[in-house]
Amino acid sequence: MVRRFFSQALLFYKGRTAAFSLVEFLCLDTFYPLVTMAFYCLLAAHSFRTTDLTRWVVGNAFLLCTNACVFTLGGVFLGERYNGRLRSLLAAPCSKLSVILAGGVFPALLAAATVAVGFLLGGLVFSVDFQGLSWLHTALAILAAMAAAGAFGLFIATFGMVSDSMHLILNVVSYLLMIFTGAEFPRTQLPVLGRWFGSLLPLTHAIAAMEQLWQGAYGAFWHLLLLELLVAAAYSLAAWAVFRTVERLARKRGTFDQF
Amino acid sequence: MTSSVLLSSMGLQCKQSFVRPMFRFCLLANPILNTVLLYEMYRGAGEENFFAYVALGAGLMAVWSAICFSSAGDINRERYSGTLALLFAAPVGFPAIVLGKILGNTFLSLASIGISVATAALLFGVPVAVASPGYFLLALICALAAFAAFSLVIACLLTLSRRTELYMNCIEIPLILLCGFVYPVSALPAWLRPVSYALSPTWAVELLRMGVWGVADPAAFGRKLAVLLALTALSALLALALFRAIDRQVRILATLEVR
Repeated sequence: MVRRFFSQALLFYKGRTAAFSLVEFLCLDTFYPLVTMAFYCLLAAHSFRTTDLTRWVVGNAFLLCTNACVFTLGGVFLGERYNGRLRSLLAAPCSKLSVILAGGVFPALLAAATVAVGFLLGGLVFSVDFQGLSWLHTALAILAAMAAAGAFGLFIATFGMVSDSMHLILNVVSYLLMIFTGAEFPRTQLPVLGRWFGSLLPLTHAIAAMEQLWQGAYGAFWHLLLLELLVAAAYSLAAWAVFRTVERLARKRGTFDQF
Repeated sequence: MTSSVLLSSMGLQCKQSFVRPMFRFCLLANPILNTVLLYEMYRGAGEENFFAYVALGAGLMAVWSAICFSSAGDINRERYSGTLALLFAAPVGFPAIVLGKILGNTFLSLASIGISVATAALLFGVPVAVASPGYFLLALICALAAFAAFSLVIACLLTLSRRTELYMNCIEIPLILLCGFVYPVSALPAWLRPVSYALSPTWAVELLRMGVWGVADPAAFGRKLAVLLALTALSALLALALFRAIDRQVRILATLEVR
């Protein structure tokens, strides 16, 4: 079962990237996210009239994982439908969640690497001083954020079984992450309802945890990290529950290919 | 004959684009979400004139995204539908058909400027403050022409590739970053500014902002307009030259649909 999981993961990744040359692959998975990060940092430098871009480098470095966790994981069923495998997949006596998870293995590894590169390059380009920052704590925050964003991607992916508008949904979700997680501006600017909604999203607590880490508040850091892991667990459970319901509906109505 | 093909291609494109979820995102959701994000980013810094950077900036970002994800992707959609070769060999000429598509997208994408202005006004009470409406209208018409000519070059280049999805993702944010859609070009590092000023959208955005703030020096407006028109003409000529080269290449190699 483990072997099949990793062979599926490799096949999915090869299928997605086989058509690209190395330069094109680097463009899509590294250059594009980093340019996006640079854009929002430049915007923040101008709009907030500041030269200290630490919080935006950190926030946008975390957002770099949306490419893999939201777009790749969230669009898994979209790809399966286009390739005509959705019916076989649903009829197969295997766990469908493991199929989605398999699709996210390599993109998630790449996302974690991109976040780390984002930290380093962002720090270098925008002169962020990383001295005194605990790399172990930073790595833990990145892993917790990946877990939450991955679970969130799984949850979103389940809607791909019943919707033909996944591109719209995924793009809206990526903007919601930018607006409500505190990556681009302090969450205190949001109304109470917005702050509450933000606390339900992945990355919010991880970004806040990194801000606490920067200030040396380790107690608050662990508390926020725990909250991020709770968000991950909640989305995993929600994904499982929604998936079971949607799968049952799709089998009952026979409409999963026609939404 | 060409004008009727142009019109029918434009009409069909409007209908086809609007049923695609991604285009609906670019057209409807993107301007709303970008307006909210930009407003919150500029609000924290005590910015007073929200119209130029928030409402107009969000609208222009949406226009560019719509053009980028449609005009560039249309070639690939025709390829997948098996109609690319038919369009290419049509007696009226491939450039006329592609131009009709691009004009259709550009016409539709105008709505996104209206949506971002309406969002800023309704949600945040940002007044529609255009100090020189006549100059603004002139700048808007020229800006749309510049965007259309620029898209024509991109569409021609992408005729030769089946990795359109990658390229259109890779050019969206860099152009927004370089052309100063949401901040002045002076916010960019000095070494990037020459690249920025070589692109026609940069001049279009500057002219639009002059229209919003009020044209105190019509001669300066005229000079920038002349540069914009020259760059637009250059883009159109480049697109024509590219089309001729591509036309010759694909007829000799017969690789239009398999690249």
